[in-house]
Amino acid sequence: MARGDADFVEFARVASARLVHAAFLMTGDHHQAEDAAQTALVRTYASWSRIHDDDAYGYARRTLVNHLVDGWRRPMREYPTDEVPERRRDDVADDVATRRWLIAILGALSPRERAIVVLRYYFDLPEAQVARELSVSVGTVKSTSSRALEKLRSATPRMADEEARR
Amino acid sequence: MSELERLRHAMRATERPDAGLDLSAVMREGRRLRTRRRVAAAGAATLATGLAAAVVAVAVGVSGPGDPTPTEPLPPAAVASPTVADSPTAQKSPDRTPPPTLASDRPLAKPLGQLVDSGVRHGSERRMYYFVPVSVPGQPKVSIGLAAGRQTPGGSLTTDILVNDVEGSDRSAGFHQIGYDERSAAAPVPTFGYFVGPAKRIIGTVDGRQVDARVTRWSLDSQVVIFWFDPAHLTPGERLDGIIARDGGGRRL
Repeated sequence: MARGDADFVEFARVASARLVHAAFLMTGDHHQAEDAAQTALVRTYASWSRIHDDDAYGYARRTLVNHLVDGWRRPMREYPTDEVPERRRDDVADDVATRRWLIAILGALSPRERAIVVLRYYFDLPEAQVARELSVSVGTVKSTSSRALEKLRSATPRMADEEARR
Repeated sequence: MSELERLRHAMRATERPDAGLDLSAVMREGRRLRTRRRVAAAGAATLATGLAAAVVAVAVGVSGPGDPTPTEPLPPAAVASPTVADSPTAQKSPDRTPPPTLASDRPLAKPLGQLVDSGVRHGSERRMYYFVPVSVPGQPKVSIGLAAGRQTPGGSLTTDILVNDVEGSDRSAGFHQIGYDERSAAAPVPTFGYFVGPAKRIIGTVDGRQVDARVTRWSLDSQVVIFWFDPAHLTPGERLDGIIARDGGGRRL
């Protein structure tokens, strides 16, 4: 295996779990998330000689997010807040509850809001960088983050009530 | 714990250590993509001269400035097919087409029908939209893609972005792929796309704001409505949250 390939394999092993999880947070669907992460890694590997000394992880992350955002070009999709897209029987109870809460919370957001929330609060990117990666203004990032957090705050008490009734 | 802290915690706590990706497949597809990009770049350079000559001839002899209709034979389309789902034969076939909105691959093919002058200027160049023939493996009902290019005063045309369906039918009713600027072209590409149906208005939504697109019908099929957003109203590259079409009576299609 060439040295560049070995470097890429090492990079992909470290980065892939996070990329898949970020895609899952943005889509709520494990299969779609794995497909998106795989596409991002394919494109990263195709450009590896150009980027591996720079910011390969940033390149893969931007490719992933743009790929998913491009998938939302068509008319808006609905993310029902009271449905859980996926449940796994082998998850422990706490993990199931956390995952259910998380998916329901993110499901209340528009695709753009989800992308901004994931970049901002999962990848911990500063607002300016989120704006650059999504090709929007910093003002849009701020206002969208604010709107997303407002939804988050308003959804949490209602969901707590639903949890209590279970 | 605040809601935001809980959100951060939940996003991290639900990570799974094993992503389960097939890295061999990733590298195999990555090599194919790399090869296609190289071939595409070479093909695009070869074709630029021939296409420019044809457009100049038409602009002078047939339609006049701003609305040329190429009528002379042109070289075959350039190669570009970086879709990861492509068949293994794609890299060998010089007539494949690119997936949506990959600006790194710039095919030049013979435009189908009239070029649409958007009215947007980049210095002395005009922003044009036009359909070109495409071929997607296993998708016989996808034969056209919509390109955004720049035309110089001399008539030469440079394609910045080509978008096309990668499944289904390119004439199915409704919206098809939408092209966004990817900051890879010499000039920003206003958001564009096409709709099939009796649309009179195309309205995009971004941050709760509605933006009307400019629309025109394709010269070869009046059911195909080409639209683009004035960059003064929608920043190139800014993603739409939604988009709808309305007919002449204002009814949503």
